[in-house]
Amino acid sequence: MTSKLNTVGIIGLAAITSLAATPALAAGTTAGTTITNTATVDYQVGGVAQGQQSASNNFTVDRKINLLVEEVGTVTTNVVPGQTNAVTTFQLTNSSNETLDFALVASQIVGGTAAHGATDTFNANNIRIYRDNTVTGTVGSWDVGDTLLTGFVDELVVDTAIRLFVVADIPAALANNAVAGVTLRATAREGALAGTQGAAITETAGANTAGKDTVFADIAGVTGDAARDGSHSDNDDYTVQTATLAVAKSSRVISDPFNNTTNPKLIPGAVVEYCIAVANTGGAAATSVVINDAVPGQLTFVPGSILLGGTYTGTVPSGTCDFNGTAGGSYTAPNVSGTIASIAAGAASTLVFRATVN
Amino acid sequence: MRTAFFLLLAALLPCQALAANQVALDNSVFVERVTTDSTGKQRILLEEPKVVVPGDRLVFVLNYRNAGAQPADKFVITNPLPAAVSFADAGDTRPLVSIDGGRGWGHLEQLTIAQPDGTRRAAQPADVTHLRWAFQKPVPVGGSGKLMFRGVVK
Repeated sequence: MTSKLNTVGIIGLAAITSLAATPALAAGTTAGTTITNTATVDYQVGGVAQGQQSASNNFTVDRKINLLVEEVGTVTTNVVPGQTNAVTTFQLTNSSNETLDFALVASQIVGGTAAHGATDTFNANNIRIYRDNTVTGTVGSWDVGDTLLTGFVDELVVDTAIRLFVVADIPAALANNAVAGVTLRATAREGALAGTQGAAITETAGANTAGKDTVFADIAGVTGDAARDGSHSDNDDYTVQTATLAVAKSSRVISDPFNNTTNPKLIPGAVVEYCIAVANTGGAAATSVVINDAVPGQLTFVPGSILLGGTYTGTVPSGTCDFNGTAGGSYTAPNVSGTIASIAAGAASTLVFRATVN
Repeated sequence: MRTAFFLLLAALLPCQALAANQVALDNSVFVERVTTDSTGKQRILLEEPKVVVPGDRLVFVLNYRNAGAQPADKFVITNPLPAAVSFADAGDTRPLVSIDGGRGWGHLEQLTIAQPDGTRRAAQPADVTHLRWAFQKPVPVGGSGKLMFRGVVK
């Protein structure tokens, strides 16, 4: 044994540290690929080159089934009561080493904790699954050009992620902050037949076969979706954000015919200013808020005195109206009316008008 | 994909029956699996490559033997890496490697690769395309030995 290299290197535990450095491989070598390793020896005997010797071995790469369903983004989808086509967004990735179909099921959580920590309190209606059309329309967001799926994704190639939209209709008459949780679960199915959902896939049990075996490598998804079952899942949820309005009315005396504006009294001929304050304590803006107020018969409306969109100091109704705003509104005896375009969540707005005492 | 049997690394035996050539070479491959027992101690198992999926670590073992009647000189073993295998390491066997399909050779730490911006970076194990062990002394009659390297299924 005089050869310098005729003892094998010790490949013991010291080499374990290099395991952590294994490169992150995605889907990798296609299932069924045969890997052949061939080594050759060249040598001389008595100074004469001899015939080359070679040795080979080969094995087949098996099928690794791995997929990932992920909610896109980390926030709930805000909806309003009665909204149609409310969208939650997911991403499905085929990390297997073979093109596969994926069966899809969108289901609702009933009670319990939804994706973003809130308690599930209602169910959405008419749940559908769409696949994003990455050529036309708004790529990455749901639009009419996206494809409505009939229970499966067809022929998803290796290492490809697609965006899926779970679209549902929200029932009417829901309270602010009501939550509906949804779950999207994808299960790997056999590929290779375009247009048709492939057969279910089972892991190769027991002894190895000569051909391509199947190994499930998926991680666990939501509760009830175990690791290595050929499927993966994730949750998302809808949260109702609606406007909740509170109204308060206040008044002040501006002037009377004798004291004018100095300590005016409510005598006939006095001018009174009214303020109708509307506060939105809900989670969504209230738009096109129409305020109507009938002027009592003992008063006469002062034409052109309506101010809209004024401010309110403090909380309705305990605070005070600032009696300001922009001219607008209309008067059709006996009603004063005005429309405030939008009152944001947590904000307040006012309608102010004047009348004289008969 | 043959019948299953498990080997502890330490139990790897010297090469068995090699062909009756002047120089015999035997090439085998194992899947390296690391298990952690209840005490947290890691054990490496080498298995026959029965279930192999991307990301698995492979150990290639080359056994050679001079079965002839005279010493074998200028003894060179060359192993091109299969396309679907990424080189990881070769233990302490210190092979020459090529990162350009077998044109240039050197030890991995000596090689660099040109990058698109004109600079050169150190070659990484994943860049290796060929391995070569060039023996500096003749293999005597009856002399034998074993070489190994690791790779990862791409």
